[in-house]
Amino acid sequence: MESLEALVAHIQGLSGSPEEVAHLHSLLKQADGDSLRAHAAALVPFLAYLSPETHSLGYLYLLEACATSGSNLSEFGGGDFLVTIAGFLTACSADQIRLAPDKFLNVCRVLKDQVMQLNMPIRGIAPLRAAVRKIQSSPEQLTPVHADYLLLCLLAKQYMAGLSILEDDIFEVDQPKDLFLYCYYGGMIYIGLKKFPKALELLHNAVTAPMSMLNAIAVEAYKKYVLVSLIVNGQVPSFPKYTSVSAQRSMKNHAQIYVELSTSYSNGRYTDLETFVQANSATFQSDNNLGLVKQVLSSMYKRNIQRLTQTYLTLSLEDIARSVQLETPRDAEMHVLRMIEDGEIHATINQKDGMVSFHEDPEQYKSVEMVEHIDSSIQRLTALSKKLASIDENMSCDPAYLMKTGRDRGRFDGRFDYDDYDSVPHKFF
Amino acid sequence: MSAPSDAAPAVSAPAPTTTAAASSGGFTFKLHPLVIVNVSDHHTRVKAQAACSGDSSSSSSAAGAGAGAGQPPRVFGCVIGVQRGRTVEIFNSFELVLDPVSGTLDRAFLEKKQELYKKVFPDFYVLGWYSTGSDVHDTDMQIHKALMDVNESPVYLLLNPTINLSQKDLPVTIYESELHVIDGSPQLIFVRSNYTIETVEAERISVDHVAHLKPSDGGSAATQLAAHLTGIHSAIKMLNSRVRVIHQYLVAMQKGDIPVDNSLLRQVSSLVRRLPAMESQKFQDDFLMEYNDTLLMTYLAMFTNCSSTMNELVEKINTSYERPTTRRGGRGAFM
Repeated sequence: MESLEALVAHIQGLSGSPEEVAHLHSLLKQADGDSLRAHAAALVPFLAYLSPETHSLGYLYLLEACATSGSNLSEFGGGDFLVTIAGFLTACSADQIRLAPDKFLNVCRVLKDQVMQLNMPIRGIAPLRAAVRKIQSSPEQLTPVHADYLLLCLLAKQYMAGLSILEDDIFEVDQPKDLFLYCYYGGMIYIGLKKFPKALELLHNAVTAPMSMLNAIAVEAYKKYVLVSLIVNGQVPSFPKYTSVSAQRSMKNHAQIYVELSTSYSNGRYTDLETFVQANSATFQSDNNLGLVKQVLSSMYKRNIQRLTQTYLTLSLEDIARSVQLETPRDAEMHVLRMIEDGEIHATINQKDGMVSFHEDPEQYKSVEMVEHIDSSIQRLTALSKKLASIDENMSCDPAYLMKTGRDRGRFDGRFDYDDYDSVPHKFF
Repeated sequence: MSAPSDAAPAVSAPAPTTTAAASSGGFTFKLHPLVIVNVSDHHTRVKAQAACSGDSSSSSSAAGAGAGAGQPPRVFGCVIGVQRGRTVEIFNSFELVLDPVSGTLDRAFLEKKQELYKKVFPDFYVLGWYSTGSDVHDTDMQIHKALMDVNESPVYLLLNPTINLSQKDLPVTIYESELHVIDGSPQLIFVRSNYTIETVEAERISVDHVAHLKPSDGGSAATQLAAHLTGIHSAIKMLNSRVRVIHQYLVAMQKGDIPVDNSLLRQVSSLVRRLPAMESQKFQDDFLMEYNDTLLMTYLAMFTNCSSTMNELVEKINTSYERPTTRRGGRGAFM
């Protein structure tokens, strides 16, 4: 094995063009392994000779060897090492590190563990965000770094930072665990930002993702899913067709108390719900869901007021307070005002005689902005439908599918059945 | 064909009946499509009936005047309409019988029909007559002069049933009679007149209907809609290409490749100034509302399409990867 100096010299020399980098890569792989790791302590000063942008690959190898060497990182001057890793992650070149993605992921994980150990999650946010962008081959791909990044954002309560990553739609997933964690943490971030519809979407994905066995992340996600869907819709929808069988069977058993909460909610009586919540507050607390449950409680008022809009055209504030079980008309006014501001109902409050009149949706659909809005939605939908069609075709060629459908028909009918060939996609013709 | 230079002003003397000159009368003729449809219908019916009856018996309505065997028989009729000043508007027509012996139209019938039409359309007068054929016949002048006592200057409408599909124009010609001096003697000859087609809304609908050859079973809504949209699409495409031509022309003029033509520029400028055709807030509102409605329908259609694809995809995934729970019973029967 070459000496470290020679290796460093190689790195410095061979980081120019892509062919050289490929050569370097093979050299590094040779040098990799325990030999590199054994010299971990000696590697740190060498890092100073290399620059993260141009020598990303070599830097990565050395860094990874240091980081995963198993020895305590405080040997390397803990805080400074963190800075080194952070600097590398922000400055490295995307093409080079994509040649060794698993090492990159290791480095990211080390960073995350380190900042969590030091209890300073906020320090890890910026580097990890850069890392996510660099290792993604397209903005639609999910990487393990996503989940770590979102976790740090949650711990640091920097929800807006997580938003930029969450806004990209994900279409490619490698590891199911990544998906579950991503959806779960993403849902929690949206809950923190009070964007409940988007949270509902992500949690829904977590609950309905294909799984052969029930996993804990999905169960936790389901609990939050029940609560958020009560806040948004007032009811919990039944499992859709694409939920995995194992989830359909056993999910509710693990979240029994939440199911009871939803039945109590649907009865519409605030006091009953309140007593139920207080009786079970210990369980909710242990799940870290008590805050969310309290929000469910307050959304009960909103639900009832919305139900009133469907029956009455105008109503006095006292009547509202009475039917929604609020104490004073003042409270009712506050609630209605807040709902009008949020855009949840359309109404006007006449303060002189304390009457509230409910209106229809004033959207007339005659503005140019609406044209643009619908137009952009149509564009998005076109792109989505293309993707969907291609996935459908791929699925039709999938051997597992063909085997299952072939078995149904082929055995029964000895001769060739030309109907079978209709399902073969046309790209083969 | 040369005219015999005898001075006898015999009405039946064969004379050059038409010239290529356009009429100088200054009359503007407006023709309604109903007339054209009527004439062609008359002709088609007679032709079909003649074919049915087998031989060319002389009892068919107009076998006489110059129709050879093998040619479709000529049909005759009268056109009626309104004449206001210099504008002659031909609204309707009806069939007449040509007496093969004397070569004239049946006057009694004509007058009876005229009376009947007068009751319903008091404004309409007999404006002239029509016939079919590829060109004007010699005997037509005879009939024309006979009608002159009803209308001092009748029109003669000729429909050419042997249409040439490559021709874009209608095979209908309108002739007037004028007194020209030929070879020293004044004679009546037919001169061609220009005409325009004038349509009322109801006529336009029926013409559209006939033109698009609606399928006999009524067609499904989808094909009708598709045909309609194809029509609109080609119309817009044509508009687009024409505008593009004008644009290129103007650009070339600006660059100096083509000499500047002021009259053309004036025309283009007036064309451009005709738009926008309507400018008011209410129009904007209604227009945007309708536009949004159409967009929403497209959106809905795409949604439905996507949902159905999604549904199929989910079915496939479920069949391939999920352990079947309730389907075991059904599949067991096959195994």
